[in-house]
Amino acid sequence: MDVFLPIAQVFVNPIEILLLSAIVGVLSGLFGVGGGFLMTPFLIFLGIPPAYAVANEANNILATSVSGSTTHYLKNTLDYKMGLMIVIGGAIGTSLGIFTFSYFKGIGKIDTVISLAYMYILAIIGTLMLVESLREIDQAKRNVLLKKKAHVHYWIHGLPLRMRFPKSKLYESIFTPIIIGLIVGFIAAIMGIGGAFILVPAMIYIIKMPTKLVPGTSLFVTIFVSVIVTFLHSFNYGSIDLLLVLMLVIGSIIGVQIGQKLGERIDSSGLRALLAILLLVVGIAIAYDTFFAEQVQVKIQSSVNTELNFFSSFIIDFSKEMPFFYGLFTIMFAIILGVCAALIRRFASNLKSKIFIKS
Amino acid sequence: MHPSEIKNFNKLPRLKTSYIKAGILVSLLAYWGVILVGTFVTFN
Repeated sequence: MDVFLPIAQVFVNPIEILLLSAIVGVLSGLFGVGGGFLMTPFLIFLGIPPAYAVANEANNILATSVSGSTTHYLKNTLDYKMGLMIVIGGAIGTSLGIFTFSYFKGIGKIDTVISLAYMYILAIIGTLMLVESLREIDQAKRNVLLKKKAHVHYWIHGLPLRMRFPKSKLYESIFTPIIIGLIVGFIAAIMGIGGAFILVPAMIYIIKMPTKLVPGTSLFVTIFVSVIVTFLHSFNYGSIDLLLVLMLVIGSIIGVQIGQKLGERIDSSGLRALLAILLLVVGIAIAYDTFFAEQVQVKIQSSVNTELNFFSSFIIDFSKEMPFFYGLFTIMFAIILGVCAALIRRFASNLKSKIFIKS
Repeated sequence: MHPSEIKNFNKLPRLKTSYIKAGILVSLLAYWGVILVGTFVTFN
């Protein structure tokens, strides 16, 4: 049974979307990576136009990062000061990214740009991940322990305007987090991803934050970046489809829970090479679509002949007549879904521990 | 078994690993080749 997405103007199979987002969620939870760079290409493969896939995935990321960040807030593993500095850079980067997005949309090249950006990002991450995991396996076989340098100083550490970050116990230039946020925001706006794959290594190796504060702070930054991306996409292009977002959020939140539970039981370091291969395969599939397939067979159907139900008509009218409020509504929708997911998870965890204590 | 034969037998797994590594390296090079050539052809 296919469902018509009123904003993206395509028919999709909800079970396919739910399953795919759940699978990506499992990978996310298992490997601790954001699922955006896998889910957006999957949406494109399912026939959703790239510009819509990017915008809706950004809204999905908002919901999942709100859910994750709420959990870290409850555990007090967040550095707000550092997070806000990265958000300042993120806001500038996002605005630049949306400007670039508008430019390529204007000249009709946005779909090619998104596909190429994904292809290269997946190829780079996949290659680095594969090389790293093979090296790890090799070292584990030989029982070699690498001596890592305690402190490596890059040019970025010599920047002026230093500030204290008490929670992370750091004395760092404010430009370091701002520059990192700028890069993350720019990429997030064009590709509809959270940017955790840049943010997390940068926080650990460049900013040198304590590892326990990194996931929470990264999710905190992702909330703001994805709010800006969602709002700008929604306001400028009206490309957020609430029905698609709902399916994506439900699938990914369930998937992340399963992935995290799996991660506690199995050692995922050996599986990292498989994830790297998956990324490379997705990258080459995008390359095939972009370079070789004359016309990708998509299930795009015109809405002219489609009778819209009340919900679809309401979404279309709302997004066209009140784009500002529609943008705000999509953000609130994702935040409420995310907070609900976090509360349900906490409730389930408390219930489980009570049952465990009783038995 | 002659000592030299044992030595050769011990070398086998190492040789296999080298072949796998070389295979992965060649695949990655081919992969990047396709992407770069494809981009070049598309923009020309």
